[in-house]
Amino acid sequence: MRKIWTIIKREYLQHVRTKGFIIGTILGPILMIGIMVIPVLLMVGSGGEKSTLAVVDGTREIQADFAAKLSEFKMGDGSAKYVLVDIAPSADSPAQKKELGQRIMAGTYTGYIFIPADVLTGGTAEYASRHTSDFDGIKVLNQALNSVVVGKRLKTEGLDPSKIAEYTKPVRLDTIKVSEKGQERDTGGSFIVSYILVMILYMTMFFYGAMILRGVIEEKTNRVVEIVLSSLRPFQLMMGKILGIALVGLTQYTVWALFGFLSSKYGGSVIGAIAPSAKSSGLAIASIPPYVFIYFVVFFLLGFFLYATLYAAVGSAVNNEKEAQQLLFPVTMSLVIPILMMQYVMKSPNSSLSVILSLVPFFAPMLMLQRITIIMPPIAQVAGSIALMIITTIGMVWLTGKIYRVGILMYGKKPSLPEILKWVRYK
Amino acid sequence: MYAVEMEHVSKKFGDFIAVKDLSLKIPRGAMFGLLGPNGAGKTTSIRMMLDIIIPDEGKVVVLGKTLDETTKPKIGYLPEDRGLYPKMKVGEALEFFAEIKGVARSAAPKLLDRWLAKFELSDWKNKKVEQLSKGMQQKIQFIVTVVHDPDLIILDEPFSGLDPINTKLVKDIMLELRAEGKTIIFSTHRMEQVEMICDEICLINKGQAVLQGRLQDIKRQYGKNTILLDYEGTVGFLQGSPEIEKIDDYGRSAEIRLKDKADAQEVLKRLTGRVRVNKFEIQEPSLNTIFIEKVGRSEQ
Repeated sequence: MRKIWTIIKREYLQHVRTKGFIIGTILGPILMIGIMVIPVLLMVGSGGEKSTLAVVDGTREIQADFAAKLSEFKMGDGSAKYVLVDIAPSADSPAQKKELGQRIMAGTYTGYIFIPADVLTGGTAEYASRHTSDFDGIKVLNQALNSVVVGKRLKTEGLDPSKIAEYTKPVRLDTIKVSEKGQERDTGGSFIVSYILVMILYMTMFFYGAMILRGVIEEKTNRVVEIVLSSLRPFQLMMGKILGIALVGLTQYTVWALFGFLSSKYGGSVIGAIAPSAKSSGLAIASIPPYVFIYFVVFFLLGFFLYATLYAAVGSAVNNEKEAQQLLFPVTMSLVIPILMMQYVMKSPNSSLSVILSLVPFFAPMLMLQRITIIMPPIAQVAGSIALMIITTIGMVWLTGKIYRVGILMYGKKPSLPEILKWVRYK
Repeated sequence: MYAVEMEHVSKKFGDFIAVKDLSLKIPRGAMFGLLGPNGAGKTTSIRMMLDIIIPDEGKVVVLGKTLDETTKPKIGYLPEDRGLYPKMKVGEALEFFAEIKGVARSAAPKLLDRWLAKFELSDWKNKKVEQLSKGMQQKIQFIVTVVHDPDLIILDEPFSGLDPINTKLVKDIMLELRAEGKTIIFSTHRMEQVEMICDEICLINKGQAVLQGRLQDIKRQYGKNTILLDYEGTVGFLQGSPEIEKIDDYGRSAEIRLKDKADAQEVLKRLTGRVRVNKFEIQEPSLNTIFIEKVGRSEQ
């Protein structure tokens, strides 16, 4: 036992002290927060570019209201975002559009809006600009025009103009999540949380799997393994390595969880302080029930051990990482399949296919966790998947231990899968 | 009392028979040479003594019992393919290996410092292993082998890659350890080293022992039928002489094997006047010759 402990200690310290680990652990969450926060700040802070728009109003009664609507939009410094130039419609529309097009090219206008005379009876307006991929900007113009036109239409029907806003108010559909905790509004948070947690699990399993693979291959090609094996059993070395790297993973998670906790607790108010308008824009971080985190750690550990044994066995059988690729294919596939199934499970978490997939030990870490984050499945299913994973992991530890024991001392030709399976029967 | 006993041990890898019905007895306190051509099964035999691999058949008894966790710390092993963790610091790597060999953490630093000083590597303790030259890494590896004060030391090709100065250093330490009563088993291709320091040898070929016993006894079996000659000139004319069985000519020296009951003086007569004789010694055949002959014979 003391020997395994020595192996665990070495494995842990060697990885935790590398620059890669330190940078990944600390920079990872900063980067993640940056990716989420910076675009919001940019959008909210700058208010975009100033636009000078030529408005050709065929009806001669829309332009003023339209300008009034757009005047609500300000730049960061308080000046108007939209400068509108009213242009009288000419009889020859194509020629006028062509001329305005040239002015746009020359830089006089950012774009023009062409409102046809029949817009109130169903005509199509046109917006022309060099830059037509600013969808949010175009949406603003469209909405402003829309509300003006609809208002005019209602007015001609004799409705009270002051009540127009009331008449045309769209219906909001709020999503409410019903759980043991009661009912609460869900702004898409449970989707994001489930997605992020499953992806973290998936990536770390890949990442730490590769770490074990590399470690085993390194020991094998450096021939360190022989000295180590003259002191302890191959199984002890394999388990020591896997446990050591599991601790590395847990360390990283603990740091990340701390970051996550702090940012969910204070992140909202920090963003709110910098840019008050961002707070209302759906950034509210969903409240995650604590049991989800407990399951997350349970499924991380179970999934990690299951996959770690496979990576260790593959590492022991090959001479370098390149050779490992082919043997890793089935391992990689069983990691990727759950990711491909995520969309489906998201839509129908309790369908029989979802239930079956989430019980398969190799998929369970990701899919059962995903189901837990969406709707808590019957406890029997959760317990069943955990039990199946434990049994499979014990089986894999036994099987891969036998492969590892032979493979780690085999040099030369890369073995085929049938050959590797033959090793299991070696004495 | 034996340090290692192997009884009818066999080991197969798939269809390849690495060791076949090998029996071996290595007395305690011996300096034992394990010889054999490449691929003879030396390393497999050593690995079975260390319980790294388990024999298919037969029994291996080390230091009086079948190997288990209590025996392992009493063995020191220097593998043929040297390896250390390149990214670790020398001191840390040594502590790690000492610890898995059962050295108490409190005792380790003192022991390591003593050995590092002995090999003149004290200044390198805080350097990474990969920064060391190959020769230095070999010496570190040797420290790993002996740091836990084992009773049985197994060295697979201990001199390969060492310069003459370090070869002497390692050889002297091997003799020191033997003087302390430790059993040393080492494998090598270098026959002159075996001849100089071994008490007993075992010659393995194709997984089987072809020659085994005390070095003196083995040589005596062959009798004094060999002339060791140092000369200037050429000795090609001796080829085909009636009293000569075989000549190994090295250019400035030669090993001449006589036929049964042939008189060495006849050879000396042939030489006088034609070459300048610097040394003419009647001896047992060298281990080299015995090796080539034994291995050559079993090839046929």
